[in-house]
Amino acid sequence: MPLSVLLDNLPYLLLGPFPHGPLGGAALTVVLALSSAILSAFLGLIGGIALALTRGWAHVVLLATIGFFRAIPVLMLIFWTFFLLPMLLHINVPGLATVVCALALIGGAYLSHAVHAGVIAVGTGQSQAALSLGLTRGQALRYVVLPQAVRIMAPSFVNQWVSLVKDTSLAYIVGVPELSFLANQVNSRLMVYPVQIFLLVALIYLILCTALDWCAMRLLSRHAYRSTTDKTRPDLPIAPAIETI
Amino acid sequence: MSTARASLVAPGPRFFLLFLSDGSGERLACTQIPAVVVARFRYHPGARSHGCAVGDRARPGVGDDAPCALVLAASYVLVFRNSPLLVQLLFWYFGVATLLPETAMTWLNAAHTLSIGPVTLGWPSFEFVAGWFGLTCYSTAFIGEEFRAGLRGVPGGQYHAAAALGLGPFTAMRYVILPQALRIALPPLFGQYMNIVKNSSLTMAIGLAELSYASRQVDTETFKTFQAFGAATVLYIATIALIEVALAVFQHRGARMSHRS
Repeated sequence: MPLSVLLDNLPYLLLGPFPHGPLGGAALTVVLALSSAILSAFLGLIGGIALALTRGWAHVVLLATIGFFRAIPVLMLIFWTFFLLPMLLHINVPGLATVVCALALIGGAYLSHAVHAGVIAVGTGQSQAALSLGLTRGQALRYVVLPQAVRIMAPSFVNQWVSLVKDTSLAYIVGVPELSFLANQVNSRLMVYPVQIFLLVALIYLILCTALDWCAMRLLSRHAYRSTTDKTRPDLPIAPAIETI
Repeated sequence: MSTARASLVAPGPRFFLLFLSDGSGERLACTQIPAVVVARFRYHPGARSHGCAVGDRARPGVGDDAPCALVLAASYVLVFRNSPLLVQLLFWYFGVATLLPETAMTWLNAAHTLSIGPVTLGWPSFEFVAGWFGLTCYSTAFIGEEFRAGLRGVPGGQYHAAAALGLGPFTAMRYVILPQALRIALPPLFGQYMNIVKNSSLTMAIGLAELSYASRQVDTETFKTFQAFGAATVLYIATIALIEVALAVFQHRGARMSHRS
């Protein structure tokens, strides 16, 4: 009976051997995705701001570094971090940390360009206006350009996070017991239900990604609505003032 | 006809914008065959979902697609884009083997050859077929979306102009809309082809002996980790760079041709 077999294995797929052992399955996938999402957003912001501020050779070096991370497959970077990190740090790095590191680096590289594009999209007029008000370059970026840029690049962040959730499945290669790894395990144990198991696992990922996408877009659209209504309000007292002049 | 062609707008800065706003900005890479197949299939989701998903009510000639085709295309894109490629590959590899009838599986696993003159093509392993099929299905969703974005980028006036010249919906699509949409969609499309190259590394999970798999094997056999992964990394970067160069050549040629007309 495939259905009862699936239902029996569902808790294992969702949590792994959790109450009696380490966390695994879909819960570990969420943990992996969350930690690498936060790290990649952080790296992306730094990288994007650096791209916007640097000129000359520093800019080229930065572009090449980001280009490197964008050009190699996630899997290849996981191999690199998996073998290099223990060598560099001289400690035993768990597979989980190497995967988070790889995902954060790749996500950060993509987001750097998104942040940079956002800063460009805000336009030079804004930063020039800020500079002419006497703000320093850093202040102009922090208080004038970035708040506007974040709104423009928010969809890119959501996109990147959704693909991060999907990319956590690659942790399977280095033996991290997340959802895909457990799916493979359950599949090899049961032998006869690969279709049902992989469809179920795909459905779990589908729910995770779609929920993330939907919630983020809802939040964003509400935020955008509020910011447009906010913008119209300060205009009201200014308009009569111009008339009196 | 010539008027319609002359009215094609050089995409100019939109290229750049699309490239930047292409959220994922992903530019990755795979084996050549999926790319070719995808190029053939990519029109489907894009063209089908165009009418409704886009919601361009102002455009005559398009947007009258049956809603059922739209729902189909949209759910295809949703399912294939929002589940990991790895799980899809495992499904095609392990799952399909049990779904297909016995005779089909023996045919897929048996050796076939196709001789065209001096060239003899051997039938690939089942791992290859599953990987190729999975990669194609996955990439189709992304490439279809890029085409949709390209079609959306064509100004509404072009549809009206084509209709005013007496072109039917299909002729207008073929000679007026698609050439422009293609030019707009070119950079993100190449980004997707790079993605296919990079995603091809996942087929090692189903035992296909591609670059990543080979590098891992070299590593376990010789313990020369740096050299093994270094060589594979360089090869991946070289492939991506090659696609980047191809894009630059295409764009340059496209710009020159639009100047001439």
